[in-house]
Amino acid sequence: MLSRRRVLLGSAVGLLGAGALAACSDAPPAAAPSAPPGSPAPTTTTTTRVPYVGDQRAVALCAATSALAASLYSGAVLAAGDGRLGQVPGVVTAFLAGAGAQHTEHAAAWNALLTAAGRPAVSGIPLTVESERRAALGRAAAPTDLLTLAVDVEAMVGGTVTARAAEFTDPGAAALAATLAPVAAMHGATASFLLGRPTGATPSAAGAPLGLDALTA
Amino acid sequence: MTPAQTATGDVPALRTATSLVVLAQSTYRTLQTNPAGGGATAVPVVRDLLAAAVVELGDARSALTSATTGAGGRAQTAPDPAYGSVVDAALPTVRTPADVVGLVLTLEDVLAQTLVADAAALSTPALRALALRLGSAAAARKATLLVVNSLLSAGRADLVVAPPDLASLPGGVGTVGFPDTRFPTAKAAPPEEGN
Repeated sequence: MLSRRRVLLGSAVGLLGAGALAACSDAPPAAAPSAPPGSPAPTTTTTTRVPYVGDQRAVALCAATSALAASLYSGAVLAAGDGRLGQVPGVVTAFLAGAGAQHTEHAAAWNALLTAAGRPAVSGIPLTVESERRAALGRAAAPTDLLTLAVDVEAMVGGTVTARAAEFTDPGAAALAATLAPVAAMHGATASFLLGRPTGATPSAAGAPLGLDALTA
Repeated sequence: MTPAQTATGDVPALRTATSLVVLAQSTYRTLQTNPAGGGATAVPVVRDLLAAAVVELGDARSALTSATTGAGGRAQTAPDPAYGSVVDAALPTVRTPADVVGLVLTLEDVLAQTLVADAAALSTPALRALALRLGSAAAARKATLLVVNSLLSAGRADLVVAPPDLASLPGGVGTVGFPDTRFPTAKAAPPEEGN
């Protein structure tokens, strides 16, 4: 077993190593020289770049999942304020804003691993489920619907990070996953309490963990 | 690190985590017999939390025991000695639902921190996944206890009901259950503590 202190201080060595390797084998091609004036527009495209390899791909998935959670909560706070859901209690808005802020920080921490490895941070929310999750938010008709959505979001985030955590070969990524998944569980427990299920609400199918195939970057 | 060294390190960590689970489950059971935990002065939500935790910790104990024996170790059946003395000292002083919640909150916190530390340090993916799953469950119980504790400490046991009156809950209840952006591990029990 690795030293707890060493592991939990974190290290991006593995990810950096993978990044360095990727830089040799999978780096984006240099920009093509400009076409001379008057030449026809190109009709072919270059090969699609795959920016993340190995652990990086799982880190990118976790970053995107955290970003989706943050974005959904931001949207939920806006919905809470526009009157569409009636009078939304302050405790619900506080939960959404607080949990969303932590997800924003989680996404930044995942992205910091990627950029430390010389890879691009995840841009936007490159996930196959994004539109469906936004539609679910759009269907919310009452404050408790926002909490039900939160139960699913936290199960999705926590499950995704937990599933990837065991597979990380990079100590820094493993340590980050270990300290972030429990926070998602705490968000979920809070949402469950507010919903009146203090021993835990059962998420719907939308709370299932995301696989690597959900990442479109 | 050789595989032999790795296996040597896993077993003490698993046995220590198990000893904390044993202690927590035993404490919950004892508190269920306390008037403030499961009797006349108990808060129904707290009573339900105790019952659910006993079941969850029983499952955790079974899973950790299987992992320990699978890693070549002996099953741990004794409670953690360091926190055992804390519990022994605290139990006679438990008078109120807030006392009940405060005691189990301490145990859930150290259990969660220990499992989270294990989740980053155990040697195989299966063991790390187990530790993180159980650590997240302990963290979830901790969050709920933090919420309940905040209300009981404020003298608002009337708000500890299911479902709660959302309009009456203070806004701070929405965030009191997740005070840390990254789950801490400073209180993690050292692997040899409960070995």
